Amino acid sequence: MRKQINGVLVIAMMMIAGCSSNESVAPSGGTATNEPTPPPPSTSIKTGYGFDQWQQGPLGDVFFDFDSADLSSDAEQQLKDNADWLKGNSPKSVMIEGHCDERGTSEYNLALGDRRAKSAKEFLTRLGIGASRLETISYGEERPFALDHNEEAWAKNRRDHFVVK
Amino acid sequence: MRIFRNTVAYFLVCLFCSAIISLPCIGAETGEYIAIRKEGASKIAIVLNKPEAQGKKEIDWAQNLDTVVSNGLSFTGLFSIIPPPLNVKDTSDPKNTKINFGALSSVGSEIYAGGTVTKKAGDVVLEMEVYETASAKQILRKTYSGHEDQLRAMGHAFCADLVELLTGKKSFFGSKIVFVSNSTGSKEIYQCDFDGEGIRQLTALKSISLTPAYSPDGKYLAYTSFSSGPPALFIKNLATGIIARVAKEGISIDPGWRNNDEVATTLSFEGDQEIYLIKPDGSIAQRVTRNRGIDVSPTFSPDGSKMAFVSSRNGLPQIFIQDLQSGQVKRLTFSGRYNTQPSWSPNGDKIAYSTWESNGEINIFVINPDGTGLVQLTRKCRENEYPSWSPDGSMIVFGSNREGKKKLFVMNANGENQRHLLQLDGEQMQPSWSLFR
Repeated sequence: MRKQINGVLVIAMMMIAGCSSNESVAPSGGTATNEPTPPPPSTSIKTGYGFDQWQQGPLGDVFFDFDSADLSSDAEQQLKDNADWLKGNSPKSVMIEGHCDERGTSEYNLALGDRRAKSAKEFLTRLGIGASRLETISYGEERPFALDHNEEAWAKNRRDHFVVK
Repeated sequence: MRIFRNTVAYFLVCLFCSAIISLPCIGAETGEYIAIRKEGASKIAIVLNKPEAQGKKEIDWAQNLDTVVSNGLSFTGLFSIIPPPLNVKDTSDPKNTKINFGALSSVGSEIYAGGTVTKKAGDVVLEMEVYETASAKQILRKTYSGHEDQLRAMGHAFCADLVELLTGKKSFFGSKIVFVSNSTGSKEIYQCDFDGEGIRQLTALKSISLTPAYSPDGKYLAYTSFSSGPPALFIKNLATGIIARVAKEGISIDPGWRNNDEVATTLSFEGDQEIYLIKPDGSIAQRVTRNRGIDVSPTFSPDGSKMAFVSSRNGLPQIFIQDLQSGQVKRLTFSGRYNTQPSWSPNGDKIAYSTWESNGEINIFVINPDGTGLVQLTRKCRENEYPSWSPDGSMIVFGSNREGKKKLFVMNANGENQRHLLQLDGEQMQPSWSLFR
């Protein structure tokens, strides 16, 4: 008997909870505004090394090993592609952002991000891009892309990010 | 040691020649009294009697001052504060109440401090007396006066005098701590008093501001800011409000003051990340490092002759010391693969820094400038970073995420008594304790 009453109570409470949660949605004036806005269709979404949800422009990003500003062969190939695009799109200039993962200490990472941005700039100038078209900024660990705290996220955050101006 | 004793004797003579020092304003010279204590002796047992007062305002002031002094002395970690016994005053002769030293001794008091609060021309006048209980000798008598909104400063001026008298060293009372907080949603520079009270937001740049550091005299505040684009060094003259901006190509980051006229910072406009000395007007005085790799986070010996800094010249970051005159460099840290954030103690005898350990923790260590005497101060509590010494070298402020979010903590210089510095929304980091006080 007692069990039965409890069961009825639970169902009643669930109904109340259901009602109240519906009510809490209602005042926002319909659901349309809550729909996530789809990203604008891009004419040139690329995939592969250098391109992910954070880089949909014409220039691919490059990635680094832990505590390193050295360019891997993948990074060098991406920079060659970037240089080709820049040659065909003169006089557009680009901001090279150097980023680090959250590990280590933040002052050192600001310097490391600077080193990463400068590595790419130096390589691009060697490929014939005028230094005046290439600006650098280090964000260190201040503006991470991936927010998880694991190697997958850290690897994504150790990058040079290219923004065409 | 003999010289030290002679100095003490000299100060004692001076003290008794001028037993009553009455001063119209806050802060002044003090005598010096050194309790005969063994090295590592326990805390100084003090009875702090609430200042006597008559009149509603005066009683309120006395209550506030008692709290300020009690909290201030507790914060030093030097004292055990004993509640005054009920019969602390001998009132058998109402016209001539006396301090009951017998009662004080029986509760274990070594030092007794009490006084009176009166009002004079609208101002608060605090008259304090300190006695050594065993000998019933007066060791300090001093008057502090000020406006009623200066009660904290007045109470701390007394704490400063008392600590200096008992330890023979200047205290940290009056010093400030600058730090970074993201409470508003962006990283801004803040300041608080040595005890975490009196929090003030100093920048509202809505950008990323980092690594604040006061010049030793407190006239300038240097910090890194992204508000004008790439990270630049801002040197703010606090009297005029004028900011000298060092914004070279690349980075201009992470200042460390050598003295009142020179601040070291890392610039990369010549390619590599090198340390330079900058004048407060923003002009470059001198390039200090010349080595391939990152050089960052300068901190100086008290005489400014040597600079400890972080360098990746051998691979992963380690701490090095450079003699500025000769240019000679030697590596300081050999334990741990990733050592950064050095802070040279104001007494010159220690360098604190952080090690990122293979287990993922970041811990704070201290080491002698000659590389001996390595001691670990934090352990088994996630990331502990950015140590900075109190101006008397007795404490270290640092950042820690031991409870999840990054918050500011303080500890004794030996690592004991680790506790929160302050409560503020968001995360706090990069604390820097001022040398001025």
